[in-house]
Amino acid sequence: MRTAVTLVLLAVAVLLQAAVVNRLPLDWGPGPDLVLAAVVAVALTAGPAAAAGCGFAAGLALDALPPAAHELGRGALILCLAAYLLSLFKRNTGAFAGESSSSLPTVVGAVAATAFGVGLGHAFLGLAVGDPRIGLVSAVLNTCVGTLLTALVSPLVTLPLLRVRTAFTDEEFATVQGPTSPEGW
Amino acid sequence: MFRDTTRSRAALALLVTAAAVLLLLDARSDQDPVASASRAVGESVFAPVAAGVGTAASPVTDLYERLSQGSAAERIAELEEANADLSSQLQAARLDESRADQLDRLLHLSGRGGYEIVAAQAVTRTTPRGYARVATIDAGTESGVRPDMTVVNGSGLVGHVVEAGPSTATVLLATDTTSAVGARMEETGKIGVVNGGGVPGGPSADLSLELFDMDAPLEAGDRVVTLGSHEGAPFVPGVPIGTVEKVEASPGALSRIASITPAVDFASLDVVGVVVAGPAEDPRDSVLPPVPEETEEK
Repeated sequence: MRTAVTLVLLAVAVLLQAAVVNRLPLDWGPGPDLVLAAVVAVALTAGPAAAAGCGFAAGLALDALPPAAHELGRGALILCLAAYLLSLFKRNTGAFAGESSSSLPTVVGAVAATAFGVGLGHAFLGLAVGDPRIGLVSAVLNTCVGTLLTALVSPLVTLPLLRVRTAFTDEEFATVQGPTSPEGW
Repeated sequence: MFRDTTRSRAALALLVTAAAVLLLLDARSDQDPVASASRAVGESVFAPVAAGVGTAASPVTDLYERLSQGSAAERIAELEEANADLSSQLQAARLDESRADQLDRLLHLSGRGGYEIVAAQAVTRTTPRGYARVATIDAGTESGVRPDMTVVNGSGLVGHVVEAGPSTATVLLATDTTSAVGARMEETGKIGVVNGGGVPGGPSADLSLELFDMDAPLEAGDRVVTLGSHEGAPFVPGVPIGTVEKVEASPGALSRIASITPAVDFASLDVVGVVVAGPAEDPRDSVLPPVPEETEEK
């Protein structure tokens, strides 16, 4: 049930990003990344493997949808790694545990940190595959603007998704913190 | 801090490998079957959703277009006007009127140039990461749109098609850093190339012109049209690109460099036309609108 709801909401986020956010005539470049904000919510409530799979799927879906701005797989690779690292970090340090896990500053902070990392990841990967669009100035500017906008939308995307996932917790062990990952989502 | 189970590590390794393989396949070849299949699936989902969003957003878009025209001082007057209009006219009717006007100008341009066009509408204008200047249009191979076709609107050159699905296509805008368009000066006929992005070492601009003749006269206000590519792909001849804004003094350079003001307002891209068949003869300067009066007085 929880898995199904999450997948539906992720699909909605991907479609909203592709059809609504990308439609906005933003003159400065990047817009808010709803998909990233949604994946953070999953990563904060799932095991590393599940988070990585989720990030991969969402990133790949966004890559495949028009416009074809870069190669297929770039977004999938970065979002997969970002979700995995965030989930691992959360599990092994015990951060975001208990009451504070769904408080506004924590969530916004997690989204902003992830968005910044993903922005840098895209800049590095772009440089690595020889994308001539990426320069130092544009990379810094796009990463910062993108991070800011994504952090701004996170209370509207990440927080509700976190609440939904917490409400649909149907396993007893979902809140157990430990190095072993429970099966499923 | 980053310890994890072997199974979970293995899952990550598998996913990363899959992503890297996809990336390399797509980056290495133009005709990657995996990428085209995935893009076709993505496209079939995207097209109806984008059409739905377009219908739902039309009142908002119309309001935004009215607000974004003109400076802050004119905005109040325009708001009042918009308010009065709102009470007297239906939103949908007015949007159609504005679209009809844009289509009219598009037809006018294609008529002067002898281009055969397919009209389309821009359905995305930005990308999540913001590096690439690309747009998606709602016409694809079913309407005769193919990669490497010129895209214009009523004012001039928009870009060219880089990827075409059955009912949507990706347009690389002329302002993208990877875009280079063969260009010709309006009267002198001197040739050069218009690149997306600013002049290297100069101030930021949407487009920059590199003219190969060092002695060619070049000054602010000169207009630039496309030179035309071999067999009209990706660019047909004669489409207005823009106006020279500022000529860069670059001692020791091998070419003359100038920043260009685009003829097209890329921020409010809406109705565009894909040139499916080029003109029989080069239209030379005939597609350019008459010289504005203020330039004549100078």
